[in-house]
Amino acid sequence: MDKELLLYRYFSDQLTDDEQLLFNDLLEKDLEFKAQFEFENDLKRVINKNQKQNLKQKLIGFEKEIEAKNKSISSKPRLKNWSIAASIALLIGLGWIAYSTFSGPDYDNLYVANFETYPNTVYTITRSDADQSLERNAFAAYEASDYEKAAAAFLDLKTQGGSAHTDFYLAQSYMHLGKDNEAIEILKSIILNDMEFKAEAHWYLALAYIKTKDEVKAVAMLNNLIENFDYKKEKAQALLAELD
Amino acid sequence: MLTLFIPIHKVKEAKTEITLDDLRKGSDKALQQVYEENRDKFLNFARRYHLSDEENIDVYQDAYIIFYDNVMSGKVESFSSSIATYLFGIGKYLIFDRMKKNKKKVGSKFDLAIVGKDDELVNGFEMEEKELTTEQILLQKHFGALGKKCQELLTLFYYRGYTIQEIMEAENYNSENVVKAAKSRCMKTLRERIQANNSH
Repeated sequence: MDKELLLYRYFSDQLTDDEQLLFNDLLEKDLEFKAQFEFENDLKRVINKNQKQNLKQKLIGFEKEIEAKNKSISSKPRLKNWSIAASIALLIGLGWIAYSTFSGPDYDNLYVANFETYPNTVYTITRSDADQSLERNAFAAYEASDYEKAAAAFLDLKTQGGSAHTDFYLAQSYMHLGKDNEAIEILKSIILNDMEFKAEAHWYLALAYIKTKDEVKAVAMLNNLIENFDYKKEKAQALLAELD
Repeated sequence: MLTLFIPIHKVKEAKTEITLDDLRKGSDKALQQVYEENRDKFLNFARRYHLSDEENIDVYQDAYIIFYDNVMSGKVESFSSSIATYLFGIGKYLIFDRMKKNKKKVGSKFDLAIVGKDDELVNGFEMEEKELTTEQILLQKHFGALGKKCQELLTLFYYRGYTIQEIMEAENYNSENVVKAAKSRCMKTLRERIQANNSH
């Protein structure tokens, strides 16, 4: 078969099985053929890259259109919303100053203001039908904020040996359920055993201590975090300042 | 008798259903519609990962480009899922990748090998854009200097995956032989210019 035709059929995705064998054979033995193939393959790659760059520019254009549309729709009411928001903020601010002058730190509020659910960064869930493993169920429940179910599944995983991140996400689920003592024990063991999510465990352990109003331990944990890790450093410093 | 009167201009125009073919044909309208339809869904989904809004939009665009590329290369032959599901699958991979490169922000040591393990839908998609080699950069330069007609023809063949016959029909050539000859001429010019460049 004509080599030119073989390359044509390769690039238009029409090779039969026999032709594919011949193609592979030539690629191995015929230097000229190989060079021709590489030239065309490079060209394909270059055109692909150009197209992607063009596409990115188009998408940036779409985004600008959306922005412009949103601005023209919301410019008037936004002003109104801002003034309402500002008034509310002022009221809350005044109230808070009055309140905090006469009382110590409000642990519950500090906890609520600082606690953020740690995202699922370890397990991809996109297909709903294929995999029904325990780990998938655990993370699916976690992502759906069904922490009862998530905690049960993570606990099962943990008893089955689990992986390093099982403990951390079990602790997260417990914190959501208000099972603070259980969460504290797990987070402590993560730190003690030098496991994955050690820095994060410091932060969440400090928050759990705040929630249980154990200020001394919370302060120690925050100091520890600031000294040894970068994770949430600024937030930890701000939180320390509020606890003082 | 009570008649129900609906002013014509108030009847909402039904959205046209975008097919894979519309996308593959390179229609800008389809491209924009799909972009807009999935944007908010994607941004809502991405928000839980604590990247900034600008980063999320950037990731959405990159995910969209990878999706589109796979439609073009024929890896997505039919939609076995909604477009959004494809975008989430790709997006998640890209977000994890960014978080990994940007460790300080998340501060966790997760293993990227786990990511996408069970994600059959976007398995086999090329997610990472490799840098061009020196030869490819040279090729890019000379490809950009070719005439518009040549660039279009080669793009249809190497990017869109058109056959010679399809190019003939799409671009109103008189016969397949004319297309073949034109393609050979474009390739020859390209090769000659690169050789001239190398010998200087």
